[in-house]
Order: sequence, then C-alpha cells, then structure tokens
Amino acid sequence: MRPLDEKETTQVFEKLFNFTGNNLKNIVEAPSHEGPESDPGRYCFRLNKNRVYYVSESLVKRATNVKRDKLVALGTQIGKFTKGGAFHLTIQSLNLLAANAKHKVWLKPTAEMSFMYGNHVLKGGLGRITENINTNDGVVVFSMSDMPLGFGVAVKSTQDCRKMDPNGIVVIHRADIGEYLRMEDEL
Amino acid sequence: MGKKKQKVVLPPELPPDVPEDEVEVSDEDLDFVAENIQHVGFLNTLDTQSITRHVTRVADVKEDALESLYEQRLRKKSLLKQKDDNVLEVDPVDALPVKTPDGKIVFRTVPKARKVADVGEATSDNEDNVADESLVRLTKAEKRAKLKKLRKEAKKQGREVTEIEEVNESSQAQADVLEEVKKDLTAEEVNESKKFRLAEIGTALLTDPEANIKSLSEMLQISKSEDRAIVALGLKSLLAVFKDIIPGYRIRLPTEKEQAMVVSKAVKKMRFYESTLLSVYKAYLLKLIYLGEKPAFQRVAIRCICNLLEAVPHFNFRERLLAIVVKNISSADDVVRKLCRAAIKSVFTNEGKHGGEVTVEAVRSIAALVKAHDCQLHPDSIEVFMSLVFDEDLGRAQKATVDKRTKSKKFKKRKNQEEQPSQLPNNDKKKARKEMISRTQEEVDADYKAASFAQDIAERRRMQTETLSAVFEIYFRILKHTFQTRTDASSVASSGGHPLLVSCLNGIGKFSHLVDLDFMADLMSYLGKLARGSSDVNGSPESSLGGCLTVSERLQCCIVAFKVMKSNLDALNIDLQDFYAQLYQLILEYRPGRDKGEVLAEALKVMLCDDRQHDMQRAAAFIKRLATFSLCFGAAESMAALVTLKHLLQKNVKCRNLLENDAGGGSVSGPVAKYHPYASDPNLSGALASVLWELNLLSKHYHPSVSTMALSIANLCNTTNQVYHTNVSPQQAFTELSLEKESFTTNSNINKSGNKRKRANVQQAVPTVADADTASQTDEVEVRKKLSEHFLLLRDISENGRLKSELDRTTMSLQLYQQYKKQKKKQR
Repeated sequence: MRPLDEKETTQVFEKLFNFTGNNLKNIVEAPSHEGPESDPGRYCFRLNKNRVYYVSESLVKRATNVKRDKLVALGTQIGKFTKGGAFHLTIQSLNLLAANAKHKVWLKPTAEMSFMYGNHVLKGGLGRITENINTNDGVVVFSMSDMPLGFGVAVKSTQDCRKMDPNGIVVIHRADIGEYLRMEDEL
Repeated sequence: MGKKKQKVVLPPELPPDVPEDEVEVSDEDLDFVAENIQHVGFLNTLDTQSITRHVTRVADVKEDALESLYEQRLRKKSLLKQKDDNVLEVDPVDALPVKTPDGKIVFRTVPKARKVADVGEATSDNEDNVADESLVRLTKAEKRAKLKKLRKEAKKQGREVTEIEEVNESSQAQADVLEEVKKDLTAEEVNESKKFRLAEIGTALLTDPEANIKSLSEMLQISKSEDRAIVALGLKSLLAVFKDIIPGYRIRLPTEKEQAMVVSKAVKKMRFYESTLLSVYKAYLLKLIYLGEKPAFQRVAIRCICNLLEAVPHFNFRERLLAIVVKNISSADDVVRKLCRAAIKSVFTNEGKHGGEVTVEAVRSIAALVKAHDCQLHPDSIEVFMSLVFDEDLGRAQKATVDKRTKSKKFKKRKNQEEQPSQLPNNDKKKARKEMISRTQEEVDADYKAASFAQDIAERRRMQTETLSAVFEIYFRILKHTFQTRTDASSVASSGGHPLLVSCLNGIGKFSHLVDLDFMADLMSYLGKLARGSSDVNGSPESSLGGCLTVSERLQCCIVAFKVMKSNLDALNIDLQDFYAQLYQLILEYRPGRDKGEVLAEALKVMLCDDRQHDMQRAAAFIKRLATFSLCFGAAESMAALVTLKHLLQKNVKCRNLLENDAGGGSVSGPVAKYHPYASDPNLSGALASVLWELNLLSKHYHPSVSTMALSIANLCNTTNQVYHTNVSPQQAFTELSLEKESFTTNSNINKSGNKRKRANVQQAVPTVADADTASQTDEVEVRKKLSEHFLLLRDISENGRLKSELDRTTMSLQLYQQYKKQKKKQR
C-alpha cells in the first residue's frame, strides 16, 4: 500500500473529474467520521496491488499494521491501473460517482436489464437526460427510481440526441452493477 | 358623371315657367326626387338646391342675400354669440331647419328638409362613420359645425352654380357683399367660418368624393392656419375624409406612355381623381410628419398617423406612416406611446388588410430601432410582438397538398400503366388533346392567380419566415446585450437595468416553438448564464459582476427556459439541473417587497409542480427550503410555497421521511450526513437528514388557511395511501391570498377583538366561578354588561395607578424638601 505518485494522481483525478466536474472537490474534502479520533479526518487515495482505494485516514493508519503482501483490500476500491499503465474506474466506485455526478441519464424500466447485461445505452431506452452533456463526458446511469445502475461515456451531446434515431448509441457502457454477478472473480 | 350633370342642368329651366311661389317649386322638386330617387341619389339634392337658388335669384335677387348678410353683421356686432351657441346647443342637428329663426333659412326650409331626408337615406353610413371618428372632437364644436355647414350650403352652392351655369351677375353681386362682410369679421369669426367651411367640405366629400375631390386641397389649406384649434380640427376632419374615401387598392400613377395614350372620358376622370387624391394625401402626410415633431401638435398628429395606419395600411406611403409610428413607439409621452402601440398591434392582428407586408416592414424597422438605441427603449416597443400571429398550419397544408400531388401522380402513373396497353392504337390523338387541355388549364390557373387577391401560400410563408427571423434577431440581440453589459460591470451602473429583458423573455417563451432546434442550445446556454446572474457557480454572492439582474428577472429566465423545453423539446426528457440549482438559490434571495411574488409563484408552478419527476435528493432539498422560506414571508408567499411543498411530498413518497420525527434520515440520507442549510446545490444539501419542524410552527400561523394547510401536510404521513391531488396551483394560491390581504387586515382585527372578548370572559369567569356555566351560555347583553364592568374595573385600576404615581411624586418632593432643609441647617 502506498500513496499515488503525481502521474497516477493526475490520471485518477482526470477520470473522476470527467464524471463529477466541480463536485470532485466534495469527494476530496469530504469529512470521514470513522475511527476513534474526535476530529473528523479526510479521505485519501491509496494504491495497493495496482488497485486504487478511497480510504479514510484513520483506516490507513490502522492498515499499516498489516503486512503488505497480506493486505487484500482496504476502504472502497474505485479503480485499477492496467498493465499498460492506464487507469480504469471500476464498478465499486459507483456510489461515490452517483452522489456527485454532474451528468446523469435515467433509463426506462425496459432498458434497465439490457444495460445491466453489459450493453450500451440506446436512445430508445432513454427516460431522461441532463442538459449540457457533451461528447466524451462521463455519465452515470440511473433507473427511473433514482437507483444508480452503472456509468459510461457519452457518445452524443444532449443536443445531438434529439436528432438521433432510436437505435443510436447514446452512452457507451463502462461498468454496471451486473458485473457483481457476471465478473465476480475478477473484481 | 358628365351626363348626369347635364341632366341636372335641365331642371333649372323648368322653374321660371312656374310662378315664383317657393312652395310650389319645392313640391315639384319633391316629386322629381320621388320619381328618380333610386338612381339619382345625392345629385338630386344638389340640383334641387341649385334650382331653388336660381328661383330665388329670379324672384328677388339681392334683397335676400343682403338681408341675410346684414343680419349676420348685426349679430356679430351685438356679440350675440352666446345666444347663438345656446340656440345651437339646443338644436338637434336634424331639426335644424324648423328651429332656426333666420329669414334666410326659413326661406330654404323645404329644400333643406328634403336634403336632409335624402342625405339621411343615402349617406347615413358615412355620417355614422364621421360621428364615430369624431368622438375625439369636442361635441360642441362638432354640433356647431354641422349646423352651420347646412346654413352655409347656400353660399357654396351659389359658387358651384356660378361655375357650372356661368351666371355671372348675381354671383358677383353676392361676392361683393361677401367681401364687404368679410372685412367686418373679426379673427374669431374667420376661425368660425373656417370651421364651418371644413365641415361643409367634409360632408360634401363624403357624399360625393369624385365630384368634390378638388376641395380636398382647400381643406388642407385651411388646416395650415395659425390657430391651433383650427389646425387640429382640420387634421382630424381630413383624417375622417381620407379614411372614408381612400380606395381599397394602391394607386399607381400612370406612366408618361400611358398618359400619352387616348383614353375614354371615364378613365380620364378616374385618373384625375386618383392623382388629386394621391397628391393631397401626400401633402397631408408631409404636414402630419412635420407637425409630429412639434410638441404642441404631437399628439394630434400622431393620433392621425396611427389612425391612418390602422385604417389604410395597404395604401401608398404606408412606409412613411410606419416609420413615424415606429419612431414614436418608445416615446416618453404616455399617450403617444400607447397610440403607436395600438396602431402596430392592429397592423399585426389585421394582416388581411395588407397581406402581411406591413408586418414584415414594421418588425424590421423595430429591429433597426432596437439596434440603433442599443436596447435602451421602453418595453412597449417589444411587447407589441406578443400580438403577432404565426400560422403554423401554413407549411403543413402545403406539405399535405404536395403529398397528395405525389400520391395522385403515382396513382396516375399506375393508372396510365394499366390503361396504356389497351389504348396504344389511338394514343397520339388523345395525347395531343390532353396536352392542349392541360395547357389551357395551366393558363387559366395562372390568370386566376394573378387576378385573385388570395396570396400564394409560399409567399405568405416566406413573409412569416422573415418576420420571425427579424423578431428573433431582436430577442437575441437583447439577450446578448444584457449579457455583455453584465460582464462589464462599470457600464451596468450607468445604464441601469434592462428595460426590454422581461418582454423579450415573454416573447421567447411564446414563440420559441417556432425556432429551429439548432438555436436551442445557444438559447438555453444564454438563459442559463443570465439566470446565474450575480452569484457565481462557486456560490460567492458578492462577485465582481454585481447583481444587475433582479431576482424577478432571473426567475423569469428560469421559467422561460422551462417553457422552451416544454413547448418544443418534449420528445426527449431533459433534466435542467442548472436551473433547479438557480431556483434553489433564488428562493433564498427573494425579498417580498422588492421582487414580484407572482413570478416566484409561477416559477414554483412551472419548475416544481409541472415537471414530472425529480431526484429524491433534490425534491427533499426543495421541500426543506420551501418550508423554511414559508416561515419568513407573508401569507401569500408562504401559501404558494406550502402548496408546492405538498405537491412534492405527494409525488415523492420517499421524501415523507422528512415528516418523521427523527433526524438523520437513516439509510436514504445519502452521502451527506448533515443538513447544510446554505448549500447552493440541492443535490448536496443533505436535506433528507433533516426534519420538517417548520410545519409545526406554521400550524400556529396567524392566517387560518396557512395553518390548516400546514396541518394537512403534517398529517400527510398518516394518510399515506390516500392519493388525492390538489387542484390549486401555487399561482392561484398566491393570487388568492394576496387579494385577500386587504380584507384580511380587518378580518384579523375582528379576530383580535374576539380574542379580547374571550380573555375578558376568562378574567371575569375566574372570580365568579359559580357563574362559569352561565357565562358560557350568556347572551349578548350579559356579555356587554360584563365587558363594561370589566373595562370599568380596568379604568379604575388605571386611575388608581395614576393617583398612586402622583402620591409618590408628592412624597418624593416632600422628602427632597426635607433633605434640602436639613442641609441648610447643617450649613448654618
């Protein structure tokens, strides 16, 4: 377990910023009420075995007691670095993203299942969409009852969505909560 | 006409044979009229009068004229005008000839009566028109003018007759006498006579415009006099005349080539008539325009111009009319501005009169005006666009016809294909015939199109498009201007607000569904920027930009954005997060006195009630903020807020956690564990972790309807399954309560006095416990008695207190005096 170096930090923050915009501040500055300390600590990012975790400071302190190769995980995993050095957000980060999302898409009940099987979001399945989404923005996908289902990347801006045909892809699938079942081993 | 006149000349030859008795002559004339009444019309009247003229002249040439003139002079000298006026006022116009005592008029009673009858039949419409139009004028002056006009008919007709018949001697004699009299006339008299002359010519023109077209210029001459009243009268009567006689088409003056051609008499006459009309009209307009710049005549001139524009927007020189009206539409003078606004509105609404061309011109010139004045105009100048009507079905109808055509073509093709094989042998002949038929059909169609007034659909469509683009050019210019001035704060203070913004926003809300979707992105982003107003994204309220947009204006921006979304972007359900955040902020910035409550209520309705679904977090945040809001402001505002709140609670079942009594919100409270009352983003406020304690306070609100509303909301949780929707919108609630405001003050007084009474009862009841039961059932008398006792007691107490304080004061002074004495003794 080690803190992220500068290059890794920019990579992680760029990804997160893509989804949350200015709300990234809230993620970094959120107070943690964990641990015995009276004053609330902060959350920080830690790298362990190529995976990035979002951990409260008090937990980090206590995790130092565990041997490095024995430590499996700590806090909330938000993503991982691939062998090629790229950073990917994983499905575990969904709660963090959903709470601070800037761009959202709500799916019609009929389209929910399709998305959770790993398919892209089509225009026909779109129940609602926030305005001002631009191409390549990170988008969090919700069900109509405000339940976060996953996230992806916008292919079209909100304006362009109007002119599309119903079978066009609006959001490219990145992760969905179906992965907890489908890829149980890899997570 | 010429022929008729010749006919007309004939009758005068008859009377000389008959004896000089007037009655007989008139009888004959009456008969003549009765015979020819259908086709001769007003000409008859003129003729008969000229006949009588003739007759009188034959009978006693100068005596009558002299008599009448002397009488006139006498009257003038003895200043009997008041009497005259009285007589005039008493006389109804129709009963004139009977009542006027002048010898002259008695002399002509019969022809006049006849004339009145004829004219009444023939030109009642015209006169009605005149009466309608002249409502503006002084009725007194009008009456007088009408009265005198009839009297003066004699002179005028005399002149006409001399022109026509060339009877020189008698007319000269008359002219001499007239000149003599004129010298005696004072300036006032001249004015009077001018007025009469105006009225005279006016009626003559209305009865027969073609014959009297020449006298139009005389009217114009009269209106050039120095006297203001005369000028005004002249302008107005000219207006009335023009409104009536201007034809329903545009006059095109004949070219030289055409003039060189030989034409029939009728055509010549027509050309003369038209050219005279046009030249005088032009001169009149120039005069109006000239006077329109003088403050003394501005209102009259503008009124005339506006009336002309409303009545004859199709006629020549309308561009000038329009230019003047548009120039004055943001005038500082309220009356002028209102007139111009009404004129432009009527141009917009009555497009049938001019086929839409004037609309395009008007909108364009207003656009130029806005551009020239850098958006600093009176809101009226933009508000007129609200009365524009765009026919949306124009394009659709065309499309449908196109579809039909293609369909029929297809159908034909198929038919042809079916038919062709069987009809191959005699195909050529038929083909040729068909072609001929179709060719002639096309020609006929083209001719019909050219002849008929119905406009081409494509043409109208083009015009609508132009109008629309001009209108939106203005709107976008205003938005841009507002935005630019917002960014350079220094100029904001000097320019002071954006007068056009509100009406511009209204217009956008109304017409946005007509704009191309490509504009939408820009439009929404601009609206978003404007709505953001003074406060930055970061929530720092005192940014350098300065709050140049008022809260109402920013609310308006939000409302318009939602309307735009709703009217044309319904296909895709878009969540306007930014605007919700703005509204969330604006609720805090609202001040009841400064900002418009109606706008806030409308915003609440459009944004929170009409929208179908919300995030749970956001709904909770709004619920909490509205509850807090309704604690601080008046009954009307808090009622509007409560109605919205109830609506939100009914729709979002999860948010009813707020009604539960434990803070923290449990698992639904989301990532934010604590409620931040000042958060700028509703999603991050953590409102689900809070409790709606405000409702408890509100249930003790002084206004009964607010308190009942609060109670019903608080009980919403218990009646969970009962789904009923309130029909009242926040706007309605707001207006109801704000209307009630005045009446409620008295209401509350009554309540207070009622409370007092109760309190009095209680106080009385405490000492007399035995009477408690009876006291509860007491009738009015007893209550009154007890009240009087109570107040007597109260007065006694106060009296007692006063006496006591007096006693204290005296004892104090006594003590002081003693001390003073002691000190004196010590000093000794």
